[in-house]
Amino acid sequence: MSNTIRREMVFPVPREQVWQAITDSATLAEWLHPNDFEPRLGHRFTFRVPPNPKVNFEGLTVHCEVLEFAPPSRLVFSWSAGGPVVDTRVSFQLEPDGDGTRLLFEHAGFDLSHPWGDRAFKGAEYGWASMLQQLASVLARSGNGGD
Amino acid sequence: MAVTLNSKPDVFDAISHPARRRMLDLLVEADRSVNTITESFRMSRPAVSQHLRVLREAGLVTERRHGRERRYRLVPERLRPVKDWLAHYEAFWDNHLQRLQKLLTKKSNTP
Repeated sequence: MSNTIRREMVFPVPREQVWQAITDSATLAEWLHPNDFEPRLGHRFTFRVPPNPKVNFEGLTVHCEVLEFAPPSRLVFSWSAGGPVVDTRVSFQLEPDGDGTRLLFEHAGFDLSHPWGDRAFKGAEYGWASMLQQLASVLARSGNGGD
Repeated sequence: MAVTLNSKPDVFDAISHPARRRMLDLLVEADRSVNTITESFRMSRPAVSQHLRVLREAGLVTERRHGRERRYRLVPERLRPVKDWLAHYEAFWDNHLQRLQKLLTKKSNTP
């Protein structure tokens, strides 16, 4: 039972540019969610996942803390959204790759043991997870259409 | 440890206990008898049996008579809801990392 999500991507831009996109609050908001991120170790911040009445999603606040900050190669922050998603860790590792940059992304530490005992919470989590998927597809559609 | 069951446990309840997750790990390798499973734990055989019962009622393991002993076998398909749950988060990140990719590609085309 793996409880870590891993992804690898190559971007056609220098490492500094990717670093800027993952450590600048406004740019983070463009591809992830509105936030009060600041680029320094120990900073506590939140991502605000906006409500989406279309899919009956009430919105969500994700609580985070910068755990590692090593420009321009490594950023790690905690990610707590409730349920099994408490103190999970999101990490970005950037490596030069020719003229571009390779991103090693990881979201680790889902605690599959903790929350499921509490039925009420589990219900909320289930609901939220399915909303999130719908939200993702709504975002994907709007992304293809507009910007 | 007493395991009281008010209703049929679901998969998530079943895997919520570390001992039961370790039992599943053992059963990933091979079918095992209660005795063999008990050897790997610092708990009484009745306690092990209780946990196995929870796993059985959640459909995660099946029990078969094999001579004089009962053997347990993992039913891996039953772990699917757990995998599906994580898949929601995978979809979330795939979607947002694609947005990041688009953003960076756009920027590289318009310096």
